[in-house]
Amino acid sequence: MNLHYTLPDAERLLVTSVLGEEGIEYCVPYDLAADGAFCDNGWVVVTRRTLLCLQGGAIIATVSLSDTDEIVCLSNVDSGNLAARRGGEDTFLCRFSMRHMVRLSYVARGATLFCREEYRILESTEKERYCPKCGTVLPGTDHCPRCGGGARTLRRLWDLGSRYVLPLLCLTLFMAANSAFVLWQQFVQRDFIDNVLVPAEGSVQAVLTFFGLMFVIIMSSLTLRISRRALSNRLGTRISHDLRARVFEKINVLSLSFSDKRQAGELMNRVVDDSGQVRMFMEEVFSEMFTQFFTIGGAIVIMLIINPTLALLTIAFMPLAALLVRLFRNREMRLWRQQWRYNDQVNNRLQDVISGIRVVKSFGQEQRETARFQEYTARYCELQRRNEKFFATLYPFVTLVLTIGSFFVYYFGGADVIGGTMTIGELTQFTAYAAMLYGPLGWLTRLPRMLMRLTNSLERMYDILDEEVEVAEHENAVEKEIEGNIRFEDVTFGYRSYEPVLNKINFEVKKGEMIGLVGASGSGKSTLINLIMRLYDVDDGRITVDGTDLREFSKESLHRQIGVVLQETFLFTGSIYDNIRYAKPDATPAEIIQAAKMANAHEFIVRFPDGYDTYVGEHGYTLSGGERQRIAIARAILHRPHLLVLDEATSSLDTETEFQIQEALDRLTEGRTTFAIAHRLSTLRNADRIFVLDNHGIAEMGTHNELIRQKGVYYGLVMAQMQMHKIRNEETV
Amino acid sequence: MSDKTLKTAETAALDVIEREKQAVEDLIAMRSITAENAVFKRTAGGFVSLEFGDKTYPRVAIHRCFPHSDPTHYISVRMPDNDGKEIALIEDLNALPEDVRTMLLEQMELRYFSPKIMKIYDIKSEYGYSYWDVLTDRGRCRFTARMGGNSVYSIGHNRYLVNDLDGNRFEIADISALTAKEMKKLDIFI
Repeated sequence: MNLHYTLPDAERLLVTSVLGEEGIEYCVPYDLAADGAFCDNGWVVVTRRTLLCLQGGAIIATVSLSDTDEIVCLSNVDSGNLAARRGGEDTFLCRFSMRHMVRLSYVARGATLFCREEYRILESTEKERYCPKCGTVLPGTDHCPRCGGGARTLRRLWDLGSRYVLPLLCLTLFMAANSAFVLWQQFVQRDFIDNVLVPAEGSVQAVLTFFGLMFVIIMSSLTLRISRRALSNRLGTRISHDLRARVFEKINVLSLSFSDKRQAGELMNRVVDDSGQVRMFMEEVFSEMFTQFFTIGGAIVIMLIINPTLALLTIAFMPLAALLVRLFRNREMRLWRQQWRYNDQVNNRLQDVISGIRVVKSFGQEQRETARFQEYTARYCELQRRNEKFFATLYPFVTLVLTIGSFFVYYFGGADVIGGTMTIGELTQFTAYAAMLYGPLGWLTRLPRMLMRLTNSLERMYDILDEEVEVAEHENAVEKEIEGNIRFEDVTFGYRSYEPVLNKINFEVKKGEMIGLVGASGSGKSTLINLIMRLYDVDDGRITVDGTDLREFSKESLHRQIGVVLQETFLFTGSIYDNIRYAKPDATPAEIIQAAKMANAHEFIVRFPDGYDTYVGEHGYTLSGGERQRIAIARAILHRPHLLVLDEATSSLDTETEFQIQEALDRLTEGRTTFAIAHRLSTLRNADRIFVLDNHGIAEMGTHNELIRQKGVYYGLVMAQMQMHKIRNEETV
Repeated sequence: MSDKTLKTAETAALDVIEREKQAVEDLIAMRSITAENAVFKRTAGGFVSLEFGDKTYPRVAIHRCFPHSDPTHYISVRMPDNDGKEIALIEDLNALPEDVRTMLLEQMELRYFSPKIMKIYDIKSEYGYSYWDVLTDRGRCRFTARMGGNSVYSIGHNRYLVNDLDGNRFEIADISALTAKEMKKLDIFI
């Protein structure tokens, strides 16, 4: 997102007159006056020393940053305020709608850095939602498909097309041949009418020749059409398959922060839908496109040769017919969309009531719900009836409009035939060509829409393909054995750069130490672990492993040496055996059994009828939470990691299985540097040290006993949990 | 742990529980602000401070419990940070003296931004998005919403909300008050 707008001339002069030559570091617009009215001339300008709010060509607020503690972005209902905070007191600066929220949050953070005399300039990684030039919504990409996009899109198409030159050429050839046959057929027919169907001159012989010729034309045209279809289908599936594979590969390579910024559903759409869109285009549009163009072009040329006046008349009607077809289609689309929305509503209502049937019944609201639902369906039914009636009248009417041109052809052509300037064969041929022009009109009016859809899909996929890999492999990435000494030096990180989750974290962990991470949800425990696993790169500071910056490790070798057990174990569809050896596909059965034994999993696995071959995952054998967790532990032990990460590994289990898993984990953590997150503090009894995270930083750090003696946050947590436990036990006795 | 430390630990734990209980009771308690028991003051920075009970709050946030259905009753006066707790409730804003009322209304005016659509000039739909050009009670505005999905939805009889791409909400207070021409533009959304 742009944080460096250019001020309009008048405003720039004003700012320069006040600030002199102080360099502007941030300049962004805002859109509301203090009373909540829209205004289109609000600007926030930040230099290293000063923040200015401008509105209506005047400066409405000036803040000296060195006398201010913080610039805050207060979020209100559907809008926000900027305020200057000094000694706990806030001063209102300006107001804006959600449109500028993200931008001003960044600016507030950036200006706050200046307040603290840190002269770092923040950049936003969020994408602009609208094209700054034309206001069109950007399809999640940096480039507007509309303005200046033509050349880019052509390049994309070229890039895509150049991979399939031969089949594309073949296809075009087929299409041209196809149209040639369609056009030629009419010549043969004309000849038949004019020269054969003349009682005096015609002969059975000539009829037979005509019959033979037509048979050849029809059969070749059929063969051509079938092969054209087959070829375009094959090409379409191939292109979409290639694209799908390329996009999927790229998504896997990109860092997690890329996937975080986008919803899983959206990424799935790009892989599945957008590539499907390209296939559909190839099959339905491209395969038709050239045939239609060749046929239309050819027909027009031939018509002009046969009878120029009549031809011009026919062509003159085309734009009118196209316009009418378009109008009808818009109307039709509106009705369909409306009906679809109603249908949606009915379905939602139904789903609501059926999934909440227990509530409905227990509160005795059946009758009210029935009445309400009936109201919905009645309305839907009425709408459907109205629409069907409309469609039933619409289609015949559209057909009529399309044939209007032919009426004129018949009239004027008929006059010419009678006048002797045109033969009957020529007239028949002519009307056939006229029909060829009007036929694809509907299709032609849809073409821009289909092309736009294609370019948007391409744009979205190329957006991923062109994305730079954020957590990039270092140029001279090292592969080395990790011993497990980890150091955080001033580590700062946020999923969005204006919102740090961790702020200036410093600590050192010795080889083999077990660290327990404690803190409220959202305090950054999982984030800290994500950084150690290098799923994200730090924004500031650095993390070292055995003295080497984490970023200098080869990702592959790093991940090979880290074992992870998460709260929710994800088992892939496949056998238990496959799941355990996921991280080390070349493991021997002996190794796998050894790992399963260490994870307390071997016994229950062998008790299954299918043993290690038990099929799990979707449609497979259902494992209990404890069983899944032990498989995950086996998976983590298998490749003998030097660094172990346990993220709430035992929190979703009952006490008995927890004990077994705890036992397995104790075995696992011995001698390995371990980071463990736990809600249940008892699971951290073996931790060498405990870090308590609070307020974006480490609030307390020490052994269990030290922290208890300190009587701080940790102490409170332990006591409360102990007491809860006690109360629960007393209740159950 | 020795017996003695265990004992102190136990009393400390009881303290923690006691504190929690206190906090829960604090949350449940209904405290009311009336004209008599509280003093609101404008701050130099354009916000409002409160003296209530034996405490002074340098800035308070003013939230409505029923921003749509009853904007003048049950006003929650709260600590200003995002997870701030309620200090007390104002049951009826109109029962407060004039100057206090204006002061609080100003603060709520600042907090609530829900422009009401008065007139629809144009809705253009193109490739999955609809581009709106409307007149609101806050002035003319152009915004963009997604087609389909739930960008326009009903919140009770004849009342509709429009969500735009940025996360703003626009209210159509009474859809039956629109002209036939405007209705036609809105047709496909409802």
